[in-house]
Amino acid sequence: MNITISNLTKSYKEKLVLKIDDSHVNSGCFLGVIGPNGAGKSTLVKIIAGLDQATTGEIQYDSTPLNTSIYQKMTMVFQKPYLLRTSVFNNIAYPLKIRKVDHRSIEEKVNQLLEEMDIQHIKNQNAWTLSGGEAQKVALARAIIFQPSLLILDEPTANIDPASIFMMEKTVRHFHEESKATIIIVTHNLQQAKRLCTDVAFMHQGNVIEYGKTEDVIFSSKNQITRKFVEGEIIL
Amino acid sequence: MIFKKSKTLSIMIFMLVLMIIFVGCTKPQETVTPETPAEDISIEENTAPEITNKTLLLSTTTSTENSGLLDYILPIFTRETGIKVKVVAVGTGQALQMGKDGDADALLVHAKASEEEFVAEGHGLERFEVMYNDFVLLGPDEDPADVLANAPKDILAAFKLIHDKKLTFVSRGDDSGTHKMELTLWKELGLEPSGDWYVEAGQGMGAVIQMTDEMQGYTLTDRATYLSMQSDLDLTVVTEGDTQLFNQYGIIAVNPDKNDKINAPAAEVFIQWMLSDQGQQLIGEFGKAEFGQSLFIPNAK
Amino acid sequence: MSEIVEGFHKAIELLVSLDKEIYEIILLSIYVSLASTFISTILAVPLGVVIGAKSFPFKKLVVRLIYTMMSLPPVIVGLVVFLFISRRGPLGYLGIVFTPTAMIIAQVLLVTPIITGIVYNGTKEKGEEIKKLAKTLGANKVETLILMIKELRINIFTGIVSGYGRAISEVGAVMIVGGNIKGHTRVMTTAIAMLRNQGDYAMAIAIGIVLLFLSFIINSLLYHFQLGE
Repeated sequence: MNITISNLTKSYKEKLVLKIDDSHVNSGCFLGVIGPNGAGKSTLVKIIAGLDQATTGEIQYDSTPLNTSIYQKMTMVFQKPYLLRTSVFNNIAYPLKIRKVDHRSIEEKVNQLLEEMDIQHIKNQNAWTLSGGEAQKVALARAIIFQPSLLILDEPTANIDPASIFMMEKTVRHFHEESKATIIIVTHNLQQAKRLCTDVAFMHQGNVIEYGKTEDVIFSSKNQITRKFVEGEIIL
Repeated sequence: MIFKKSKTLSIMIFMLVLMIIFVGCTKPQETVTPETPAEDISIEENTAPEITNKTLLLSTTTSTENSGLLDYILPIFTRETGIKVKVVAVGTGQALQMGKDGDADALLVHAKASEEEFVAEGHGLERFEVMYNDFVLLGPDEDPADVLANAPKDILAAFKLIHDKKLTFVSRGDDSGTHKMELTLWKELGLEPSGDWYVEAGQGMGAVIQMTDEMQGYTLTDRATYLSMQSDLDLTVVTEGDTQLFNQYGIIAVNPDKNDKINAPAAEVFIQWMLSDQGQQLIGEFGKAEFGQSLFIPNAK
Repeated sequence: MSEIVEGFHKAIELLVSLDKEIYEIILLSIYVSLASTFISTILAVPLGVVIGAKSFPFKKLVVRLIYTMMSLPPVIVGLVVFLFISRRGPLGYLGIVFTPTAMIIAQVLLVTPIITGIVYNGTKEKGEEIKKLAKTLGANKVETLILMIKELRINIFTGIVSGYGRAISEVGAVMIVGGNIKGHTRVMTTAIAMLRNQGDYAMAIAIGIVLLFLSFIINSLLYHFQLGE
């Protein structure tokens, strides 16, 4: 899915928190949004996901504004996932159920994904009894099961164990290769961005300061602030 | 007509809302009549035991309370004797039970046989007849059983008419004095009322009259309760004046041996006062101004 | 005090006696309170979810009104319903005064705010998150509402149990609109009130014990049903 942002701003009570001039995310791009706390990363992806309203400006998805059929083709995984009060299987199957997929295909797809992520053993467990890493894996499986054209991940691996992070990254990368979907990930972890992303946008104080190929932004940025951030300095 | 009624209704609901608000905002008022200084108290003929406890618990039937008689005479009694009377208005059955349990100091009830049994079993000291009122049979204004035409003074004939035509009759059904009176009448007729027409409400007199009005049926009631509600009813007296319908009230002091909380001296003062010329006169006066007739006829011996 | 002990004996006697009158009273109590709880649930669950999940003008006022109505005195509800359905009232032509139908209507008015309030509370807490999730997974409005109800089922269950508890135990409203008519509208609570008036404390306690026993059984059934899904 192509995403085109034009003159987007977001203000809370007169205070401008986000200002993005014309930008474009190409279909099939794996974009990492990085930057210090309070840079406006989460606000931006929420607006893209249609969970928040922009104050001015607009976003186009494959050259059309947000509508029901686009909602059906995109999804988001949050830092703290909300799992339904039912089994792991039912959680992952839910998006397919509401898309009226037949039972047999649902069973097949869910099993396949459970196997790929190595979590078959929790298939029938109550989702509310899972550990943090397991819960996030289930949330990711639930998000990609219906083959969205746009997947937004908002710090999905913060606060989970390294083994789970590894498995999730593997799954996301595999999903990206297979589906050619557009993926946007908000992350604090530069190494993660390096491992996953084709492109990186560096945000600071509500603006996108730098946006380009991952290696260009992270390894050879000419921007003062970006370099400081990459080198691990605390920037405000 | 209907419009007017629904307007009345909306006013009532509005008032109700107001009441809810006001009840929430104001402190409950003390309703007990203020005590007169001790030196003003003059108790005729009864100077004997000094009364230390100035509160009397009187258990009585809902009919005396609902009629307003007690509100009329008790403040005068309190002013003269300094004794406050707390009234617990319940059915005759419960009033007697409270006496048996020693939860009341005196009883003012109307079920002669049960009262005599109560005294005979030693629960009470002595039973005095104090006044009577009478029962009347109420029916819808249209009187579908034609009681008024055929049995205006004959309660048994009236009951027979209602029974034979299977017209709605609302019974207290609560073991009260009124209910007992009604059952006696059926028994005398040799009838056992049952069926859809015979409604056993199990509620107090006021509620039963309301239900009778609502169902446009017949019911047996004491005159006092009926008169106090008369203006709002589409019911009329169809039978009255039969000597069988007289309802004698007795007053009994509860046996103080039951427990040491029973205020026998105050009960004694109260009973003497009710039986005195002054008490009897006040009973006879009550209701004349409002209804043009006495609601209770004093008959202390 | 001896009445309480006697009440226990009488309660057992009542249950084993298979007395027709007492069983009619028990069955009517269960029928009226279950029917009113059922109708209230159908009304209150979507209402509570919608109020909790949507923002609209005067929402705070509406919520406060619902909270207030959760503690409506049954006698007031009974009286208002009575005034509407009595012969002289605007709905008098229905002829439902002193019938089980009237009792159900009065109890629906008592129980609906209770379930609505409890469901609203649950929705307020978790509704936003559930809505967000439903949106990101591509659910439409109806699917979102269904998902919301499924996710809030524990709150809904609590609401139903509380509402049923209110219905089976209240006396004021059913007494006024039902009239406590023997064999017709007499339920356990009005029978208890009547027996107390008659001074038959032991029998009143006995029915009270039967009432508690039944509440326990019905709550257990509901609980079982809730776990067994």
